[in-house]
Amino acid sequence: MIARRFVPYGIAVVGAVAVTAAIGVVETYAKVGGLSAVYLLLVLWLGATYGRWPAVTASVAAFLLYDFFFVPPVGTFSVRGPSELLELVVLLAVALVTSQLAASLRRTQASAEAMATQSQALYELAIAALQAPEVANALSLLSGRAAAIPGVKRFAIAAVVDGKGETLAGDTFSADELGQAVRSFESRRPVGISVSGGTVRAMRTHPNRAEPAYVPLDSGVAVIELGETTPSTDDARMLAALIGLAGLLLDRRRAARESTRADALEESNSLKAAILSSVSHELKSPIAALRAGLTALVAPRAGLTPEQQDLTRDMDRQATRLDHMVGDLLALARLEAGVELHREPHSFADLVGASLRQVRSELHGHEVTVHASEDLPAVDVDEMQVGRVLTNLLENAAEWAPAGGAISVGAAERDGQLAAWVENDGPAIAPTDLDRVFDTFWTRRMTGTGLGLAICKRVIEAHGGTIRAENMRRGPRFTFTLPLAQVATAHAQ
Amino acid sequence: MQRALRAGLQYHDFDVRTAGSGQDALRESAAWRPDVVLLDLGLPGMDGFETLAALRPATRAAIIVVSVMPGEKDKVRALDAGADDYVVKPFGTEELVARIRAVLRRQADVSAGEPVVRSADLEIDLGRRTVTVKGRPVRLTPTEYELLRYLALHAGKPVTHNTLLRQVWGEYAVGDSYNTRYVVAQIRKKLGDDPSNPRYIVTEPGVGYRLAP
Repeated sequence: MIARRFVPYGIAVVGAVAVTAAIGVVETYAKVGGLSAVYLLLVLWLGATYGRWPAVTASVAAFLLYDFFFVPPVGTFSVRGPSELLELVVLLAVALVTSQLAASLRRTQASAEAMATQSQALYELAIAALQAPEVANALSLLSGRAAAIPGVKRFAIAAVVDGKGETLAGDTFSADELGQAVRSFESRRPVGISVSGGTVRAMRTHPNRAEPAYVPLDSGVAVIELGETTPSTDDARMLAALIGLAGLLLDRRRAARESTRADALEESNSLKAAILSSVSHELKSPIAALRAGLTALVAPRAGLTPEQQDLTRDMDRQATRLDHMVGDLLALARLEAGVELHREPHSFADLVGASLRQVRSELHGHEVTVHASEDLPAVDVDEMQVGRVLTNLLENAAEWAPAGGAISVGAAERDGQLAAWVENDGPAIAPTDLDRVFDTFWTRRMTGTGLGLAICKRVIEAHGGTIRAENMRRGPRFTFTLPLAQVATAHAQ
Repeated sequence: MQRALRAGLQYHDFDVRTAGSGQDALRESAAWRPDVVLLDLGLPGMDGFETLAALRPATRAAIIVVSVMPGEKDKVRALDAGADDYVVKPFGTEELVARIRAVLRRQADVSAGEPVVRSADLEIDLGRRTVTVKGRPVRLTPTEYELLRYLALHAGKPVTHNTLLRQVWGEYAVGDSYNTRYVVAQIRKKLGDDPSNPRYIVTEPGVGYRLAP
């Protein structure tokens, strides 16, 4: 090992001797001036190949040899004039400059090669990691590569879930060490080493090198234990790059987990919807058969006496009520289960028109007026749900307005929303009840389900609006707000 | 349910035959050629929609779909698959009889090939492509006329947004019901129809529109 370090110096001395011999041979045949320049070639070559000191050695050796053999008086080391001294200085300067240039060239080349190797390795690792269907496999690959870096004793990637550390890949670390990793993750502070500027630096505050270092990442921690030797500059860069890649892989793992959770949530929602629709089917089918049978019996051809017909009609009315109750309960259950709103721009007048048609038999005998000007802005609502609010409020109004009483429906734009109301001229609501009317199962009647207004409140709130009851001069009024549609005037024609 | 309906309809002078499954319904309708088929979407065996798809090309009868699901999705799907109308359980016999009569009336009108469709005091002359309200002509844009014409051709029947979009705009417009809402609002304005109490074009919530017969 040590002997090899002196080889360049040997070459320098032997080279100088050889050049001297060659000059001597040439000199015996012809007197050629300036042959000392040949030494320059030797020094240049040595400087470029072996660096500064062998070149300097060669310069000194060349100067001494030339002086001894060729400079008169031949056979002595005496220097007679400044020109010989200048020759030595030139040789030394050339040796120093070329060796310096060559050395920096060599360093650049070496580091370029090292970086190319490193990028190649990182690239291959990144591709493999990204292609691995399981993030865990990619992380193992990465940990293996990191542990192989000289100077790295142990390397692991840990995830932190609900305050608990879990090693995902790499070497095993004790529970204490994992606890330390969790603390580092939660405080967002690295322990032992820091990663910045594309490289890894040991922190001066790290007292004991035998203890692992922790680098918190966005979704986990990198745990690294360094050995006795410090990793080289290139290896430190490699380590930093691997830690960065580990951060990306952990993010990917978290994203994958979150999307799985979202899928599960969606599944549970569709399960809820399926259960509700099955319950709806089971509850409604017997009522449907009951109503079909009862209404069939009412036909004159069925041969019932007028009294029996009345009784049957009454039974059908009860079956209809039962159907409404089941419908309300299911609607409430759907709202509680968090149904998705199907929002589209709608004109308020159109919504009112459809609802009025739906409850026209209940409204029979009442005078209904609609105050909805044509230039009301469109509302961004679920047609069916808001339709239900309007029919519930209209049915409610029809029930409370006296026979032949007035019901009015209207809307106006207010504070960037549509404020709509349904009013009747029936008896006022007791002031203490104004807030309670929207409570589930609260009702003023013996026969009501107490669900209609509760459903209204939930639907309106799902649209981000509010609903309230108040007593106007003529009678009770229900006011609710609806969001305006953000529709440009442009449309397809 | 089936027995009750049969009894109810028979009391209203209809000849009724019943089928217990989709296959039976297909056989019965081919052999017996009914005027109206009542199809329960919750049939045992064959899926209700499958039966509808098989039945539609095989019969000229009006098909009224019966479902216990109050959702408008089934309604739209059935209408798009060629059903003529839709009733949601539970319903009374009178209501059902009224629906059947309306469907039969519509069928008679269509087969009469009348070129002028009337809805209250609105007249749509399909031959001369003119629209008048109380005898006064109304000027419609081509899009507005096409939409009204399609509703007139199916007067009394609920027409889904998607069917209108497909017929008036083309396949690419399907799904964007803002178009139909906007054009219907324009037509109503020109016809002097109040959207909160329409006489001519009735909104079918969650489904589409219907020209009042």
